[in-house]
Amino acid sequence: MSAHPAIPVLETRDLILRGYRESDFPAFAAFAASERSRFVGGPQSRHDSWRSFMASIGHWALRGYGMWVIEHRDTGAMAGRVGVILNDGWHEPELGWHIYDGFEGRGFAYQACLAARAHAARHFGLNPLMSYIDAANDRSLRLARRLGCCFERDVEVVGQPCQLWRHPIEELR
Amino acid sequence: MPLSRIPVLETRRLTLRGPEPQDYPNFKATFASYRSRFMGGPLNPYETWMLYAAEIGHWQIRGYGMWMIHDKQTGETCGMAGGWYPAAWPEREIAWIIWPEKAGHGYALEAAHAVRRYLYEKLGWDGAVSYLDPKNLDSIRLAERLGAVKDREAPTIDGNDAVYRHPSPERLKSGQLLDGIELEINHYCDPLFKPEGMPID
Repeated sequence: MSAHPAIPVLETRDLILRGYRESDFPAFAAFAASERSRFVGGPQSRHDSWRSFMASIGHWALRGYGMWVIEHRDTGAMAGRVGVILNDGWHEPELGWHIYDGFEGRGFAYQACLAARAHAARHFGLNPLMSYIDAANDRSLRLARRLGCCFERDVEVVGQPCQLWRHPIEELR
Repeated sequence: MPLSRIPVLETRRLTLRGPEPQDYPNFKATFASYRSRFMGGPLNPYETWMLYAAEIGHWQIRGYGMWMIHDKQTGETCGMAGGWYPAAWPEREIAWIIWPEKAGHGYALEAAHAVRRYLYEKLGWDGAVSYLDPKNLDSIRLAERLGAVKDREAPTIDGNDAVYRHPSPERLKSGQLLDGIELEINHYCDPLFKPEGMPID
């Protein structure tokens, strides 16, 4: 089956944010099985990551928004995911990002977050967003600051302590 | 496959539709309960949400999935039934779950019979299995009432499940097996029919 038609496509200089294809699953599962996923609920077995993969698609149907696949424009490879998450147990919709091995350090997360955040404000009416960040996740904390976020409070999500960072209000022009 | 394109199946007492956001509370209640012990539960709210969203994603990726079973008269949900094929499954499965308070009315039999026919006739499946916990006697009974037989040779998911192999499309076209299933469903549709003993799905 092709991508869900309800998932909009966003473009940035280096990236295409789009819906899911079954061919994205190997990259998704490789990330979920790796140490890179330790701050976002991983590492996960292949079976659990299949469930997460399908749930990422279902999230769009249930909420009307969700996480996009980040496709690297030049290579067509899946570089990660970005988007808005509101799972059962979340305080409010969250802007989340995962960048896969080999795509970090090039500002892709920053580009993707700006595009997703602006789209969420304009089309989903979600403004300002927040992000949950593990206190030990230095890279994501740095990105949050670069995105203009401020620490708001310590919270617990699915029994795990983490920090809630508040994004700036997007100006809708 | 968007929710709006999931086919609607009608049986005598039931309407089967794609899972929708408003159906989540009943799903959540069942997966929080002991009823879900043979389906990987009980689950916490986060796990339940991920599973529910995955039910929908499955439709998109596979083109089939689990339908939400509604009582035609009241619109209330009774459970789910459909085709299920996660990455780790050796074969395509016909699966079902009935909410605890809806057990004992033959809803799973009626729904599973309808979805099997759809998967066979419309999607061209040449067979199917059900992966059952050997302790899940209600579901084993249901598999047998549907004509499925334990397949000791078939690969299991993780060694803790029993594989029940459904009859082939050919065997379900006509004959004693089909007549028996439809006769039993007809009994359940009779408002005067009061099954005795333990409730079965």
